Amino acid sequence: MTGAQTLFDGLLVLLLVILAWVLLASKDLFRAIVLFISFGLLLALAWLRLKAPDIALAEAIIGAGITGALLLVGLGRLGSAVRCRPLPVRTTPLQRLSAPLLVGLLLPSIAAVVLVELFTLPIVASGQIKLVAAHLEHAGVDHPVTAVLLNFRGYDTFLEMGVLLLAVLSIWSLDRARHPFARDQIPAALLTLQRLLLPLLILVAGYILQRGAQGPGGAFQAGALLAAGIILAALCGHRLPPGHQGLLLRLALSCGFTTFLLAAAVTLARSGVPLLYPEHLAGSLILLIEIAATFSIAFLLAAAMAGGHPVPEAKPTAIDERKSA
Amino acid sequence: MTSLSLIVALILLLTIALGLIRVLRGPTPTDRMLAAQLFGTTAVAILLLLGFATHSPVMTDVALVFALLTAVAAVTFVRRAEVDPMAPEQDVDDVPD
Repeated sequence: MTGAQTLFDGLLVLLLVILAWVLLASKDLFRAIVLFISFGLLLALAWLRLKAPDIALAEAIIGAGITGALLLVGLGRLGSAVRCRPLPVRTTPLQRLSAPLLVGLLLPSIAAVVLVELFTLPIVASGQIKLVAAHLEHAGVDHPVTAVLLNFRGYDTFLEMGVLLLAVLSIWSLDRARHPFARDQIPAALLTLQRLLLPLLILVAGYILQRGAQGPGGAFQAGALLAAGIILAALCGHRLPPGHQGLLLRLALSCGFTTFLLAAAVTLARSGVPLLYPEHLAGSLILLIEIAATFSIAFLLAAAMAGGHPVPEAKPTAIDERKSA
Repeated sequence: MTSLSLIVALILLLTIALGLIRVLRGPTPTDRMLAAQLFGTTAVAILLLLGFATHSPVMTDVALVFALLTAVAAVTFVRRAEVDPMAPEQDVDDVPD
């Protein structure tokens, strides 16, 4: 039994290293994307073997599902791999030297320094497990990972929501949203798949969200699953109706962050410490924040795929009007 | 019984290793994408076997998520292939310059 396990782990590590290498070295961008999807799949297996099911679940959803679709759409916007290959430009000898210097000298020396530092660190095998376990009964949830993410270190998750929001704001400031998928001539098989898969995705997202209180799961994974549902709908030609592209969309994008912010403000006013939940309300507060965060994450990820700020279809933009005038 | 499922999981991982050859060699994008799709199916089987062998029901959740999501990447690929990537970007840029 242990022999098979060791062989399995060994093969997994070997495959991961090979995959990482060829995908980074791949000149064909499409091949790199397919390799990246495969890499995400095996990485999720590796996290499970390392007994980190929470990360495995997130990696499975993000790595195998969302990122694959996101990169494929991104590649479609870049055009073919041939067209986007950079033209050869004249470089100075110093510029030519910079890449080997960086990769051959600088990175290995940083790695060496980190390694040396790593050996001087005290070995803490258990990490903060005991500390978390000792306070788990006050957290409002039974799963230690959710307790850490939403309660003990809630401000980390709060700021992460801010990072996601900032990322979408940057995407919006760069370009306008485009619809790479034709609205008509949707294949019948795709429509059937959507009819079957979309309700399942929503159902499983809800299941994963409520599962977070007892086991691996929670807002991020559930939000990513919902985002996959939105992406599937977009692939089938559905678009956000123009009436929903204004305030409603912005509310959906920011409700995770604002709910967290409100919770922080209220707890600050009540007890003087932001995000210190009263014990009897902790469970409900965490659930409320997680529901809001799930919606936000779903729309933030889907907005990242749309690749720009929303543009109403019917009305011409100000630039168009100026051009025609 | 658990050791049997571990051995089967190992064999399935070996088939993924073999399938990588198709991803690497292609020659068409469809070959590569379909190989990756098969990895998704294989990963579901591996997860269920490992979950059975190590008595961890969480693996079933991850397997469920895999089964649902690998289709999304495939659909994106198919829909993208319909919009010819080599064609000029007339469908993308409708603002005349």
